[in-house]
Amino acid sequence: MMYTTELLIQTVISGLMVGVLYALMALGITFIYSIVKTINWAMGEFYMIGSYIQFVAVHFLLGPNYWWLAVIISTAGTFLAGYIIEPILIKPMYARPMQRRDDYATVVTIALLLLLRSLAVAIGGPNQYRPETNLPIIWLGPLPQEGARVAASFCAVVALGLFWLVIKKTWVGLALRATAQNRVAAQTSGVDVLRLDATAFAIGVAMAGLAGALLAPLFMVFPTNGAVATVKGFEIIVIGGLGSIPGALIGGLLLGLVESLGTSFISSPYQNAYGFLLVILVLIVKPNGLFGEKVREA
Amino acid sequence: MGRRTLMAAVAAMTAHVAFVSTPILAQDPIVLGVIAPLSPPGETALGQLVKRGAELGADYLNEKGGILGRKVTLSIQDSAGKNEQGVAAYRRLVTQDKAVAVFGFVHSGVNIAVNEVAKEMGVPTMGTQTGAGDVTAKKYPIAFRTHAVDPPRAATWVGWIKKNNWKRVAILAETTDFGIGLAKETEKQNKDGNLGLEIQTIMFDRTTTDLLPQLLQVKAFKPDAIVNIGVGQPLELMITQANTVGLLPDVKMVTSYDAPARPQFWQIHGDKWKGVSFIAFYSPKSELSELGKWFAKKYQEKFNEPPVYGALNAFGNAVVFAQAIEKAKSTDPKAMIEALETGSFTGWSAVPVTFPKAEGVLWHNWSPPLMVLTYTAKDQSVGDAEVSYTLDK
Repeated sequence: MMYTTELLIQTVISGLMVGVLYALMALGITFIYSIVKTINWAMGEFYMIGSYIQFVAVHFLLGPNYWWLAVIISTAGTFLAGYIIEPILIKPMYARPMQRRDDYATVVTIALLLLLRSLAVAIGGPNQYRPETNLPIIWLGPLPQEGARVAASFCAVVALGLFWLVIKKTWVGLALRATAQNRVAAQTSGVDVLRLDATAFAIGVAMAGLAGALLAPLFMVFPTNGAVATVKGFEIIVIGGLGSIPGALIGGLLLGLVESLGTSFISSPYQNAYGFLLVILVLIVKPNGLFGEKVREA
Repeated sequence: MGRRTLMAAVAAMTAHVAFVSTPILAQDPIVLGVIAPLSPPGETALGQLVKRGAELGADYLNEKGGILGRKVTLSIQDSAGKNEQGVAAYRRLVTQDKAVAVFGFVHSGVNIAVNEVAKEMGVPTMGTQTGAGDVTAKKYPIAFRTHAVDPPRAATWVGWIKKNNWKRVAILAETTDFGIGLAKETEKQNKDGNLGLEIQTIMFDRTTTDLLPQLLQVKAFKPDAIVNIGVGQPLELMITQANTVGLLPDVKMVTSYDAPARPQFWQIHGDKWKGVSFIAFYSPKSELSELGKWFAKKYQEKFNEPPVYGALNAFGNAVVFAQAIEKAKSTDPKAMIEALETGSFTGWSAVPVTFPKAEGVLWHNWSPPLMVLTYTAKDQSVGDAEVSYTLDK
């Protein structure tokens, strides 16, 4: 095949756009972990919930012109779902003394994953759906892109910016950062960490819901559509470092670029393998991830 | 009621249970087993269609007096598309439910894994919509299939391409048994038949979220036609992104199975449907057997939509197994297998169903009629789609 500058530019643009969306997913996982100290294995199912809400809102209620309003509703709906679920499933780990919290969290969130998938099949049926979009094809330099994909990437960047502002400039953000650094110290300073856990969990899953809503016109709506996003999210937190917000951003972009460049310039069938090679490389060079911190355990 | 009368009534009931119930026990229903993907990560849409078809198959058989005068019941098991779950379901069907035949397979991996166990346990299996060669190519006596395997499927789009005098063909195939097998078979037929097609083959991972890099390579190749060998989400993504890069609708695309025949095609693609054709195994224009006509009528009544292939084929499996049992006059697996190998049966299609002991993948395999369908207007029903090509038997 012909390796041209145009193909290189197209590939880089394509990789960065996918990378931003990957980052959104990874950020949700890493954010929940940094606050609640729990890995949420059902993250992809919140992505799926966001995509279903987007479909129902656009197809049955609002129409394609108001896709952006549907995105806000989907994100809010997923936030609400997280806010309701956290006190029921996650809070008991902290409300009473418990050994092997990680094991409990793994079992509970995997059970949640299965429950949500089965509910999706029972309610929505096995078919694939797609929320309508009226966004035209947009040319990014030499690269034609679906309007929905450009909008998704743009909205993801805006969401990441808003997230940064909330974390850095608000009292809630300060409390979240304090809790992430030291739960006991934050609690001693008067922060209601159990309540904050619910907020953090809800924000984290809302990011997955936002990704699901934004990507629904491209990757469609069906019960297992969050599975790939979850795998990518976990790859990214290994690359960027578990609990690191900049790591999630840089890791997402790197993964998108590596997959895209590998597909275009090496061999197409091994798209996923390039990502895993990157993961292995990072594990060899920096086992805690590019932005991960070394932790000493007693 | 006096005491003597009561005792007489109890004695009469006891006698009834002792003497009359024995023939009823001998008339236990014949159980047909179904293993289909009914929950994720399996292909649940196809699984539901198989379930519908199998249930109507049992309804039909019972309406006609059952098999060998015995009622027919189904035991439907969920494989979730997982090999181990399918194998466990087969064991349960045979040992616990006493199923005499098992069908409904959609995932080739599940069908192949079950066959490895079935060859020891002996109860015959029938692949309803499994395409991989090894389902039948291993020549296990218990393994049967009623689905299009790679050679006729590839021959259908090769014939369609030749009919249109196209020369340059891009194949975009997922890296699964299904995708790799079909891509290789297409190249083989081009080479063996000296067809002179220039073929560009690009493989992709089926979990991909972006086919733009591959489609840009295809665009640079300037093909006359694209063969879309994706299953589920990648198939739809390829149609969407081929529109984005400007390949569709000018360059014609054929999908490797009948996904566009489902009503969801219009919901998913809306105005971006032009230039897409699809391999189909059934069209309402196809000639049906009397059984097929019964099914089509009942299916429309029950589900308020025209029948689709997956459901038809599951129905066909149920009635073919029933005819084999009638022919063998027994549910003994060996007798049934001999009946299947030597008999000619009526399924849903007007084409008789036979399972010859042929070579390679054609062992115990009946292939449905194959055709290429093309929509000519938006929101068209599959019955109104144009039959662009039909593979000669």
